[in-house]
Amino acid sequence: MGWERLLASGRAGLYLLAAFPSGVAAMVALPLLAAATVLMPLGTGSLLLPRLLTAVRRWGESEHRRALQRLGSPPPPAAPQAPARLRELVREPATRRALRALPVHALLGPAAGIIGLTGVVGVPTTLVEMSVWWALPEPATFLGIEAGGWGFAIVGGLAETAVYATLFFWGSPVVATGYARLLDRLLSPSPAETEAARLTGRVEELSHTRAEALKAHGDELRRIERDLHDGTQARLVDLAMRVGVAEQLVSSDPDRAAELLSQVRGRAEEAMAELRDVIRTMYPPILADRGLDGAVSALGARCAVPTRVHVGELGEVPASVQAAAYFVVAEALTNTAKHAQASSASVRIDRAGAALLVEVSDDGVGGAEGGTAPDSAEGGGEGGTGLSGIRRRVAALDGTTSVTSPAGGPTLITVELPCES
Amino acid sequence: MRVVIVEDNTILAEGLKLLLETGGHTVAAVLGDAEGLLGAVDEHSPDVVIADVRLPPAYREEGLRAAIDARRARPGLPILVFSQYVEEVYASELFADGARGVGYLLKDRVARVEEFLDALTRVAAGGTAMDPEVVGQLLTRRKRPLSRLTPRERDVLALMAEGRDNTEIAERLVVTDGAVHKHIGRIFSKLGLADGDTGHRRVRAVLAYLGT
Repeated sequence: MGWERLLASGRAGLYLLAAFPSGVAAMVALPLLAAATVLMPLGTGSLLLPRLLTAVRRWGESEHRRALQRLGSPPPPAAPQAPARLRELVREPATRRALRALPVHALLGPAAGIIGLTGVVGVPTTLVEMSVWWALPEPATFLGIEAGGWGFAIVGGLAETAVYATLFFWGSPVVATGYARLLDRLLSPSPAETEAARLTGRVEELSHTRAEALKAHGDELRRIERDLHDGTQARLVDLAMRVGVAEQLVSSDPDRAAELLSQVRGRAEEAMAELRDVIRTMYPPILADRGLDGAVSALGARCAVPTRVHVGELGEVPASVQAAAYFVVAEALTNTAKHAQASSASVRIDRAGAALLVEVSDDGVGGAEGGTAPDSAEGGGEGGTGLSGIRRRVAALDGTTSVTSPAGGPTLITVELPCES
Repeated sequence: MRVVIVEDNTILAEGLKLLLETGGHTVAAVLGDAEGLLGAVDEHSPDVVIADVRLPPAYREEGLRAAIDARRARPGLPILVFSQYVEEVYASELFADGARGVGYLLKDRVARVEEFLDALTRVAAGGTAMDPEVVGQLLTRRKRPLSRLTPRERDVLALMAEGRDNTEIAERLVVTDGAVHKHIGRIFSKLGLADGDTGHRRVRAVLAYLGT
């Protein structure tokens, strides 16, 4: 029993003490509320009642916060703004809870305050009274018995001090916690209300991620458009131009024409290779041929690091999700082969409710997330590859990516892609 | 050579026909899907069949399936599978029944007309043509044992895996036949493969080593 105990008891005493003024205020508020309600038809009430109710509601919130703090629980979620209109204000659960707690607090709050007060001031006042009992105008009493001499003053005084100390150290914490528990019960939102608040929050979160997903999806479309526009389309223009020039030179300068045509062939090959890459990032042909299972197995078989592939029962998976899952596995395995120095890798794809779960792991050196890791640099540089490419692709479908890759390994990339909207 | 083409895309079928006929070959038939392949083979007895991978009705890998089936039904029928993209697994399935008279090439390869016709002739003669991109994938996969090879030896190995014979390899690398022969001997001893196989058996050995 040291300072901590003393502090804890002090806090309990203060908690109870504070209930005194607010309890008295509640006592005053009750008849005021009644009066305002009665005065409603006269007009004065309609001015007074909303203000009173708002004040009561606010008190309820702060009292609940105090109670939860006392109980060591996390603070309640922020209550919505109090509605301005009386009808809505009365209907609101937060107002009703505060109104329910108000009479209880009017009754018990002052009592709790007195217990707190007694606990806090009992010991010091008794000690003072004990030492100056002879000088008091009224005869001092200890434990209800009048002190007639030093002997009794000391014995009785110490006994009373012990009683107050017991109250302070053991009584007030118990009473404070009990009272906080009572108020918490009265002021806590019902499960249905909590659920409604949770759902509202979820809707907000979803609209936010959906907006982000739409943006990411738009970015992805623009990237493909840019690849086709700056790459393939420009190359076709270049080809047409060179063929045209070669055609003109055929009779006058056949050597130059032949040289141009040879360039044309080389450039056509580059264009084909580039276009194949663009198509692969959009929707890999093998996915169309063999589905996700076959396509990912092919990736595993092709990887330079021995790779185990497990694909569970997936059910219906939208094409965009399949393409993203394939892309994630392809990029992750490319990283593994290039940087991880791994001796084995593993790919798991499973259906988890409404989501597709993709896991790629390896037993390599890790550090894929670090600033010095080649993937991050590469991801930034090439735009479409590495971890940043995976993240972007997954975000476009409102999915989540998590990467654990401590220095020294192992690396685990987990991606969750929603399959249903 | 008499060639049967299985290609549903008319632009590509026409282009291929032009290329082959300009090269002095005969296009016996152009099929839009794999359905009548065996019938056409029996009717025209072509020297080689060129089949696209994606064909009606589902546009998946009908051509690949048809090629594998046709080779089982008519053993020794040379087929070149021709695609806008290549996948290592497709190659391994196609070569599973042996590398004799099989080719697997990207459509891009038609740009080098002479090489393409060489590859086609090779397949028709019972040889092999494997696309460099697939070979590249295979070589990256077996990085570790292949690190013992010199860069030049790796080039030779890649060309062998593509199905080229010593003379072609020598031409491509601008060295003598004898030099190629020496390289091959060293590659085989470094990788622990039985030397002495020639033609498609050598290709098969190399591809088997690379893991198709």
